[in-house]
Amino acid sequence: MNAGVGPSRRRFVQASSALALSAFAPAVLRAQGAPLQLGVLTPLTGAGGFDGPRMAKAMQAVIDEVNGAGGLLGRKVVLVIEDDQTNPEAAVRAARKLIDVTKVPAIMGTWASAVTTAVAPLCWESKTFLTTVSGADSITKLPHQGYLIRTQPNNHLQAGKHAEFIASLGVKRCFMMSIQAPFAQPTQDRATEVLKQHGSQMVGTLIYDKDKTTYRSEVDQALRTNPDLVYLNGYAPDVTVLLRDLFRANYTGMRFAQSYAVTTKVLESLPQEVTEGVITVQPSADVTSPAYELTKKRLGVAEPDSYETQATDWASLVALSIAKAKAASGTAIHDSVRSICQGAGTKVYSASEGLKLLAQGKDINYEGASGPCDFTEIGDIVDCKFRYNKATGGKFVLLKVA
Amino acid sequence: MASAAEVAQLVVNGAMAGTILAVPAIGLTAIYAVLRFPNFAIASHATIGAFAGYVANVSLHWPILPSLLAAFAVAGVVGVASDEFVLRRFRPAGYITTAIASIALTIALENIVRFGFGNDLRGYDLPIARDLRLGSIRVGPQQLQNLAVAGIAMAALFGFLAFTRMGKAMRAVADNPMLASVKGINAEVIGRLVNFVGMGLAGLGGMLIGLDTTIDPLTGFRTILSIFAAAVVGGLGSIPGAVVGALTVGIGEELCLLFLSPDYRSAVGFVAILLVLTLRPRGILGQAAI
Repeated sequence: MNAGVGPSRRRFVQASSALALSAFAPAVLRAQGAPLQLGVLTPLTGAGGFDGPRMAKAMQAVIDEVNGAGGLLGRKVVLVIEDDQTNPEAAVRAARKLIDVTKVPAIMGTWASAVTTAVAPLCWESKTFLTTVSGADSITKLPHQGYLIRTQPNNHLQAGKHAEFIASLGVKRCFMMSIQAPFAQPTQDRATEVLKQHGSQMVGTLIYDKDKTTYRSEVDQALRTNPDLVYLNGYAPDVTVLLRDLFRANYTGMRFAQSYAVTTKVLESLPQEVTEGVITVQPSADVTSPAYELTKKRLGVAEPDSYETQATDWASLVALSIAKAKAASGTAIHDSVRSICQGAGTKVYSASEGLKLLAQGKDINYEGASGPCDFTEIGDIVDCKFRYNKATGGKFVLLKVA
Repeated sequence: MASAAEVAQLVVNGAMAGTILAVPAIGLTAIYAVLRFPNFAIASHATIGAFAGYVANVSLHWPILPSLLAAFAVAGVVGVASDEFVLRRFRPAGYITTAIASIALTIALENIVRFGFGNDLRGYDLPIARDLRLGSIRVGPQQLQNLAVAGIAMAALFGFLAFTRMGKAMRAVADNPMLASVKGINAEVIGRLVNFVGMGLAGLGGMLIGLDTTIDPLTGFRTILSIFAAAVVGGLGSIPGAVVGALTVGIGEELCLLFLSPDYRSAVGFVAILLVLTLRPRGILGQAAI
């Protein structure tokens, strides 16, 4: 290499000025072309591995539609998808990357409560907007300053709705058996309160220990109150034992449980006469909403479930908030989200429909596929639908969605 | 104040739960008596027995009684193999190391069951019957049958220990291994035998629990603390002690419902351990060995 000092310096000056020019000249072009990146942090693996990929797909479908309608703020929208592995530690690393490197204004899709609890402080401190399905009551009580919304009903809302439904069955005397868990006491308290408001009565409650091979004495204790309905608020292993013990004790009244406690597998594992007539409940998508119909078509799925519809709603809410605020920052979403999903604006059922009206300067009220998407001050939904099934002949039959 | 009928019902419920618990507790205590370490792999062997019985009953359509024998045999054979290939190597390192190895082993075995059968709950092919009423007391026909099976298994074991050559040899090793070896008793053979019988009883107990509930890979793990409590309360190493301990824990857990909320039930077993070990460190019937 015999390159002298002169030519080398000249080349250096040429090269650096070219670089400087390239940095300035195409700048305008780049601003128009650079896509707007939104973060997705959802469990693609681990316990949430069944729901995460479907939620990511539902969000992608909404974003594709938004891009088809011209994108946001004149920019194409791209989802940057990270796997939280249903693990708080992995989730924090992935969230750090989304926030510090990709600099996304919003992170959508955390599923496990432990993951959301770990990731939320990173979000509110960096003013990144977070949307989640995690159900623990504690999540919206975090000091998130409005940088968090969840579309999943919390225990309080669930317990109240269940009690309304139980009262609507004409039940006068309800007994509640709950597994020892953080939700046990709050659920019992709320259900007791709402039953009373609806002319029914909680005749007794008890909290039982998990992992017992029999609950005969607990069942005796419940049946002494002579209930019309026993609410079994536990998980599958203990609720199967309770169902057996209720049957053996000759109880013929109604039984009510969460759908995760009496699953199709539970129906298969128990004799039919034990499960006959058990009513199960789960949060449901709003199957009567036009937004639900649109989600069906968008995803090509016959019955999108609660998770797919919630994901649909996050992507729509974030897109509409950015369009409304005319800025793609976490704070912009934070400031405008409630102005596009609640209030007196024209009802819209999809992001693309909303974007059109916003472009015309109109006010909108997004009504989602998972529910009305109206949020309290701390980011909880005000209302949502529940699906009630009844075990009949070893299978679940839909009672109603209400 | 609770009525006499209520108390009687609680005692009956507790006695039935305790009898089922006694079967794997005997397994734990017998293995302890001969090999001198608490073998926590009892948990996975209870699960393996429950699943072996499930395969026999549901897949092969065997009736319940032969399925229970299958549960005993399969868990026993797995017990001998797992001791031969895994735990035996740890024994020279001391009982704490071996006990910890047995916890690792139980988790490994449990996951092998999970790999084969998945995490779903499964039930035996067994009709369920409403309870019988005897006066004011309520008992389940299935539970009476389980009670009978547990009773027969225990009686057979006592007979084996008291009247057969092998049984006597087993007691000799438990009593004084040195003396037994001087007398020409092969401790290795006795070790295998006690593993077969102990883990077999665990498997039988696992299936008895499953008959009353449902089974999944955690069936054994969920009950191991109560089994351990029963064995310790009765006196680790004493077979009649395991029975007394299981009944004490079972009935104690039920009677506590008179004063306490049911969510404290498990605590009772452990308060019993603390009490017994404080007042009588060798357990209710400890010392007697088998």
